[in-house]
Amino acid sequence: MKKGLVMCRTGMGSSLMLKIKLEKIIEENHFPLELEHDVLSGFVGHHPDVIITMSDLVDEFKDSGCYVIGIKDIMDVDYMTQELKKFFEQSNDEDYKGG
Amino acid sequence: MLSDVLKKEYIKLNAECKDWIEAIKTAGQVLIDNGVVTEEYVEEAIKGVKELGPYIVITKGVALPHATNKIGVNKTGIALLTLKNPVEFGNVDNDPVYYVFMLATTDMDSHLAALSNLSDLLAKQEFFEVMKNAKDAQSVIDYIKANEN
Repeated sequence: MKKGLVMCRTGMGSSLMLKIKLEKIIEENHFPLELEHDVLSGFVGHHPDVIITMSDLVDEFKDSGCYVIGIKDIMDVDYMTQELKKFFEQSNDEDYKGG
Repeated sequence: MLSDVLKKEYIKLNAECKDWIEAIKTAGQVLIDNGVVTEEYVEEAIKGVKELGPYIVITKGVALPHATNKIGVNKTGIALLTLKNPVEFGNVDNDPVYYVFMLATTDMDSHLAALSNLSDLLAKQEFFEVMKNAKDAQSVIDYIKANEN
């Protein structure tokens, strides 16, 4: 099981929408991923395996050492699914069954 | 439910705005007029885009401006502004923007169901047709009520 963190500026709008959409994708694909969401300034204290955020916020995490996925279009289910698969394929997570 | 926070009075159709700032101000004014937020909130939402970029353009043609709940939010609400002529927010992937959903929320949870409904609606091409062709706010509300669950 991996931990994902959905980040946005305020944690009130875009990141919540993104989290809602991602949770539907995670459920459909049975990805072993638990999601939390927070604001940029709340990053400290979370220890995620993967950060998922809108693509123009990706640079904020370039020094975090985390795997980062940038989303351009939160309705683009195919892209989000494919990026999560890529993350799991490189992660060697024992709960991941492959896609 | 989305219709609990996106009310008929919060919808403004075919607004004429010259740029993204005017679009946020116009949507914000609808929320101010209905007692949802104060002017400070609208300024914060504009500042957010200036500081961190147009990440609020969440999908093609749709912007979701918002700011923190700590400044100028009286109640949870979502305004819908449709634009007669689209505006650029500077988001290379999703510009130009035709539809602005301006969001204000008092806490982290009160708008979760509404946002979940909204994300389902934004996956439907039909919803975009309804917003594009709507003659009045009631027809948008009717569609939302028939399709949220």
